[in-house]
Amino acid sequence: MASEELPPVPPVAAAQEFAATGEAAAGTAPSVIPGRERADRIRTLIAYTVMFTIAALFAVPFLWSISTSLRPTAETVAGFSLLPHDWTTIGYHDMFHKYNFTRYTINSAIIAGAVTVSNVFLASLGGYAFARLRFPGREVLFMLVLGTLMIPDQLRLVPVYQMLVNILPKYTHTDLINQKGVILIQLVSATSLFLMRQYFLTIPRDLEEAAKLDGAGYFKTYRRVMLPLAGPALAAVAILMFQGTWNGLFWPAVLLQDRSQYTIPIALTFFRNIYQTQWPILMAASVLAIVPILVLFVAFQRYFVAGVASAGVKG
Amino acid sequence: MAVAVAKQRKVRALGSERVREALVGYAFIALPMAFFLLFFIFPIGYALYISRYDWGIFKGESVGWDNYRTLFHDSVFWHHAVRNTLVYTAVVVPLQMAIGLSLAVVVNQSIRFRTFFRAAFYFPSLAASAAIATIAIYILASDGLLNTILGHLGYHHDNAWFTQQSTALPSIMGLNAWTTSGTMMLFYLASLQAIPTDVYEAAAIDGAGPWRTFWKVTFPLLKPGHFFVAVVSIIGALQMFDQSFIIGGASGGPNYSTLTVVLYLYNQAIGNIHFGYAAAVGLVLFAFIFTVTLIQRLLFGKAEVA
Repeated sequence: MASEELPPVPPVAAAQEFAATGEAAAGTAPSVIPGRERADRIRTLIAYTVMFTIAALFAVPFLWSISTSLRPTAETVAGFSLLPHDWTTIGYHDMFHKYNFTRYTINSAIIAGAVTVSNVFLASLGGYAFARLRFPGREVLFMLVLGTLMIPDQLRLVPVYQMLVNILPKYTHTDLINQKGVILIQLVSATSLFLMRQYFLTIPRDLEEAAKLDGAGYFKTYRRVMLPLAGPALAAVAILMFQGTWNGLFWPAVLLQDRSQYTIPIALTFFRNIYQTQWPILMAASVLAIVPILVLFVAFQRYFVAGVASAGVKG
Repeated sequence: MAVAVAKQRKVRALGSERVREALVGYAFIALPMAFFLLFFIFPIGYALYISRYDWGIFKGESVGWDNYRTLFHDSVFWHHAVRNTLVYTAVVVPLQMAIGLSLAVVVNQSIRFRTFFRAAFYFPSLAASAAIATIAIYILASDGLLNTILGHLGYHHDNAWFTQQSTALPSIMGLNAWTTSGTMMLFYLASLQAIPTDVYEAAAIDGAGPWRTFWKVTFPLLKPGHFFVAVVSIIGALQMFDQSFIIGGASGGPNYSTLTVVLYLYNQAIGNIHFGYAAAVGLVLFAFIFTVTLIQRLLFGKAEVA
């Protein structure tokens, strides 16, 4: 579980390092020796060339999908051209109006939104308790939470599906092999709870003490003092959960049976199997799946890295 | 007397405060804990229970360990699902590590636009697998971008890479090595930055060139990083599902060539409604992943102490 081998990377510190630019990188020898300068310049040049080449290679599939999404279907079989001859947004138009992707986008947003909100709430509540409140069994229970990271989703497929079909509906009186089920089984994750706890641990205690002297109860202290201070961690949890759920394929593939509830990834997979060569629409749908995450990533880059640092608890 | 009473009162107040804090603590973790118990801990036992029944949509006859016995002799499972998963893991893990490490070394240089490059290399890890796989299907189609480029280079390849039995799995390997390399890069980057600068200064004074410094100094010092990346990468590879599901379809086509253990499990449960059997597959996979993690921990853990 907790990987002691990994150097402790506090999520936020890692994020700051990631966001910072221009500082000297660790691991470059000081170039005080004269005559080394030319060699260094050549090395820098090589480094730039390599990086631009890799970045260009990485970008090709994305650019190609955008380029294709803006063509008429006939053009995709009419030989190779870098840019469309006839620029058109008909792929996007058809996707939304003919093939129901408006519905799928809403479905994706509902699931990702609900899971995000619930994770932020439950993980911050639990994370605060695990970080600050003293109660018997706290450490054991926290290890149990981290232990859930060892349980692969695949092992859970059968029992969770059976619970949703046979056991839980007896109590909830509602069908759960649907959108509700997808949300229900992702209400909180050990990763979010871990991130929140680690962040609360770094907040100085004086502020809480002051709140306590003012007569604030535990919930008020959590709500009025701790939550406002935990902004970066809350943002990290929200972004990670949104990204993970928006992209999610496994649980929607297992639980969504009614086509009107499909998310974008499921609809895309399903659509691809039926309309093999409708490339402009398929590429438009791929762009639709990618763009929201790209926007989030560009805007909140450093929070994405916090999640990677927290993955230190996995494995 | 009065002092003693006051003291006692204070102690009692403190005691009740302790109790209150504990109760609030339990209240705060109640919902998350209930969730973890219900959807993570209980399912392990329930999976074991289900695996001992002939279980369709509903519970059927108890069959003892028959599901495991059948699984032991299931040739599609062993010859295709397990074989593909192991081959995939054996190829993709070293590939991911090598690409991840190379990228990390490149973006660890002190040059401009470093952050941009890191972001650019990391992004494929964040994009929806369904979208990336669909784009890959298009690019690797018979008249796709890759075959067009290969044709211009004088190598004519007319088949779709994902629909040919011999190239389907290798193509998925290449695809996934690419998309996950950004995550591995970030892990290695954290590891690289944990290496103190003075060892590089020492190497420079000894006159070691960059190549030699990398292999003799950096690479061995990255051992904790190697371990961590290997574990994450192997566990991820053993659970491969998305790309096979999207590209090969639920059956892992063509002719089982992209069938993985997890896809097989999904098929048995959701496709064939053999939940008892699928539960057995899940537990075998879990046991395997758990063992791999333990072995790695033992091997690398010891090496680190030495």
